[in-house]
Amino acid sequence: MGKRILVTDDALFMRVTLKNILTQHGYEVVGEATNGRESVEMYKNLKPDLVTMDITMPGMDGISAVKEIKKIDPNARIVMVTAMGQKNLVVEAIQAGAKDFIVKPFQPERVIESVHKLLGN
Amino acid sequence: MMRVEYINPFVSAAYSVLQTVLGIEPEKGQLAMRPGVFTTQQCSIVMGVTGKVEGSVIYGMTLATADKIASHMIGQPIRTFDALAASAIAELGNMITGNAASLLSEKGYTCQISPPSIIRGSNVKITTVNTPALVVPILLGDFGFIEINVSLQERK
Repeated sequence: MGKRILVTDDALFMRVTLKNILTQHGYEVVGEATNGRESVEMYKNLKPDLVTMDITMPGMDGISAVKEIKKIDPNARIVMVTAMGQKNLVVEAIQAGAKDFIVKPFQPERVIESVHKLLGN
Repeated sequence: MMRVEYINPFVSAAYSVLQTVLGIEPEKGQLAMRPGVFTTQQCSIVMGVTGKVEGSVIYGMTLATADKIASHMIGQPIRTFDALAASAIAELGNMITGNAASLLSEKGYTCQISPPSIIRGSNVKITTVNTPALVVPILLGDFGFIEINVSLQERK
């Protein structure tokens, strides 16, 4: 069984792209959340092995969602995948509990490398 | 007052993002000033910027260019400009603006961006109230070109 991943991004294109990359490498995308609030709810229900998290999203943003998910599960593995690479946001996300920070646009290998590191092959 | 230094981060970001996404070497066209009212291209990505600098950034292109870029990003030719194609084009605006916001922040102009909107249709008049736009075309070989309209001012 592939490890189970929850993808969070408001952009359909980005969810499809991440899903393709992950499934091609044997991971199972168990859910696609379109904002932070949805991601938190889906985390509770799906208990995925890893979450990818955008930052700028309508409703609840990605950093608030990381904080909420960490309250539910302090061991949650979350990787930020965002177009906003500002130092203050990287620091804030890591302090909130994110394990890695990928800036868009990314090469597929960058995503896989990060997921491998956190979940093992 | 619209300052030229606000546009450079967008040009740099557009270069690196388009290079990565399209796999080409973009070229910069002639920088020009535009009045506060201008007519859009056939397809526009509209982004809001808030923070120490605020205003809007509009990426204009022809429908043919939008179709070619979306097809390349999705990895197969698009038959109609559907939700996935619109999302790909919107994401392009998001990535360029997000990367530019990071560069602006490094210069001390910390700012955030808002989710993109797409406007399709010719002869749409856009008014960037009180702030003229600086415009620079980025030439993309066979893809065509994207025109970046930056209309930002420092928050008082």
